[in-house]
Formats: sequence, C-alpha cells, structure tokens
Amino acid sequence: MNPADKPDLFLSVIESNKGIIYKIVNSYCKQPEDRKDLVQEIMIQLWKSFEKYNDNYSHSTWIYRIALNVAISFYRKENTRQKIAQPLKESILDFADINNAQEKEANFNTLQQFISGLKDLDKALMLLYLEEKSYKEIAGITGITETNVATKIARIKKLLRQNFDTINQQ
Amino acid sequence: MEETNFVLLWKEHYEKIEASLAINKRLLLGALEDKAKSSLSSLKRLKTTGIILSVPYLLFLGALLFWAVTHYSPALFYFTFSVAAIFIINIKALADYIKHLVWVNNIGYDGSITNIQQRLNKLQLSIISHARIMCLQFPFFTTFYLSNKWFPHMVGWGYIVFQVALTGSFTLLSYWLYKNHKMESLNKKWFRKMIAGSGGRSVAKAIEFYREIEEFKKS
Repeated sequence: MNPADKPDLFLSVIESNKGIIYKIVNSYCKQPEDRKDLVQEIMIQLWKSFEKYNDNYSHSTWIYRIALNVAISFYRKENTRQKIAQPLKESILDFADINNAQEKEANFNTLQQFISGLKDLDKALMLLYLEEKSYKEIAGITGITETNVATKIARIKKLLRQNFDTINQQ
Repeated sequence: MEETNFVLLWKEHYEKIEASLAINKRLLLGALEDKAKSSLSSLKRLKTTGIILSVPYLLFLGALLFWAVTHYSPALFYFTFSVAAIFIINIKALADYIKHLVWVNNIGYDGSITNIQQRLNKLQLSIISHARIMCLQFPFFTTFYLSNKWFPHMVGWGYIVFQVALTGSFTLLSYWLYKNHKMESLNKKWFRKMIAGSGGRSVAKAIEFYREIEEFKKS
C-alpha cells in the first residue's frame, strides 16, 4: 500500500462499511456521548490495523472483529476511558437526514432493548446473526466453533421469541 | 413473531439509517492524527514511564547493594538483607512493566473476539497482581536502617518493642494484602469495598468477564 493512498483507501473502506460501525456502537452504548467516543476509538484502532489488513478476510469481517473487540473492551474500561477521552462536540458518524434517524418502531425498540440486555459476547453473536453472517463467518470472528455458534444463537433466539411473546400478550 | 422477522426488522430499520449516515471526514482525519487518545496508548505511556523511572531506581539500589556486599560486615546485615529484598522485588516490577508493554504492543484487536478479549483480560489481571507483589517490599523499609552495632543490645526495651511492632505490623499488612488479592476474596463485600478505590472494581469486572469468556467458549 502506498502511504499516500492510505487515507483515501481507508476512507473508502469506512464509507462502504459505516453501517457496521454504527450498528455496533448503537448496540453497545446507551449514551450518545459514549457513542461518539466509541466511534472514535474504533476508527483509531481500524486505522492502526489498516496496514496489516489481511485480504484473506473481507473488509466487513475485519471491521466486525476490530469494532466488536473495541466495543467490548471499551465498556469494561469506563473509568480509564473517562480520564483519557476528550469530550467530542461533534460525532464522526452523523446523520445527513435527522428525520429518518428519529423514526422509531416499537418492535425494533424491543429487539434493541433485548440486545442491550445480553452479555457482551452474546451481544456480538446476536449482532452477527442479525447481519446475516454465516455460522462459519461468525465462528471466525468470535473464535468459537460453528456448532457452538449454532447452539448459542438458537438459545438466544428462543429467549428473544419468549420476550416478544410476553410483550405481545400484555 | 417468526425468527426470520427479527432479521428483517433489523435490516429494515438500519437500511433507512444507513442511507442517511454520513462520515464527518474532517473529524475522522483529525482523530486519526491524534492517536494519543487511544485507550491502550495511555497504558503504553504509563508502562514506559514505569520503565524509565525503575531503571535509575534499580541502578541506585544495585549500587547500594554492591557497596554493602563488597564492604560486608555483620553490622551491615540488616541493610544488605533489606536492600537486596527491595532490589529483587523491584527487578520483578521492571520485568512486569516490560512484559505488560510487550503484551500491549502485541494486542492488535483484529484477532477473534475470544482470543483478543482473553489477552486483554490477562493483561488487566496481571497489572493488578503486579500490585500485590509490590506490597511485599513494605516491611524492608522498616529494617534497612538497623545495624548489629547497636540493635538490639544498645537500645532500650521501648525501642525494641516499637521496632518489633513497626516491622511486625508492616509484615502483617504486606502478607494480608498479598494473600487477599485473589479471586475468592472478591466475593466478600468488605474486601470489594476496601479495594474499590484502588482498581478493585476493575478486578471484579475482569474476573467476571474471564468467567464469561470461559462460559462462552463452552457450548
């Protein structure tokens, strides 16, 4: 990679995969301020790893690995993070059309709430499942076996269905 | 709701949002230039500072120890023994700083989640266990100034009692801190409260997460 091309190439990869980062940040952080910080931390780690990018994986798999790892670690280091992160006035990832972003759907909120309540590692599994990643890909990203992925996802989906059933009955 | 609907629900919601997501390129490029804000960088700086400060301190202790050994006499027993112990414990501290720095530099975030999280967790637990080793040097700071020339035969009972109480209490404190810095103690409320201010919450979180990873790897 020519060093001069690195920023442009990086920006184009981020542009094509910005949705992944947004979804992960949205699922791991409840507070808007935390989201901005997490986006920044993910971007820095992606940038640092960009030169070592292994093209055996797709850009999306590479982004999922880094973003999920950063998101999981980010949450556990709240205290340290508060000391080093400067409050951001703006966000790197923003909405061009705010009206669209403000649309809320009850079902989606239930789903998002359910995801928020999951343990960090189960949350990663669920996000990858909802992103329609194959079990093989999920196994590669998370580092567990395909059988284990299938078992865990089935278990989480069962819980999710029960959750929706309870809400629908109310 | 059928299971496929969850995927659809997710997709539909984010399709709208993705279409309106925009990257603030100016802010992104600014953040990339300012890598110091990265969380692991602060740990790297802390460890590097630890190494920089440890080296002259160890050289100083080494010089004292060298002098004590080359000029050894029974009068220097307490001094030699205490400085040797402090020196060894601080050698271990330097080794820990170097080890942590190597680990931090080798964590790239682009590995599988379980692997990277386990390595980060191992780092966190090792940083905390480093503290308990450091506690072991406390009693030696209460003995290095003693000399066989005047202690105990030339001092009164009052001083002997004071010295024994001082060294004894530091020894007990060190031993207690060393012994209680373990996973099992974190289940005790009083211990969690006591160490909350000195990273205890992080230990509890790290251990809890360690268990979560182990559990996650099982089917």
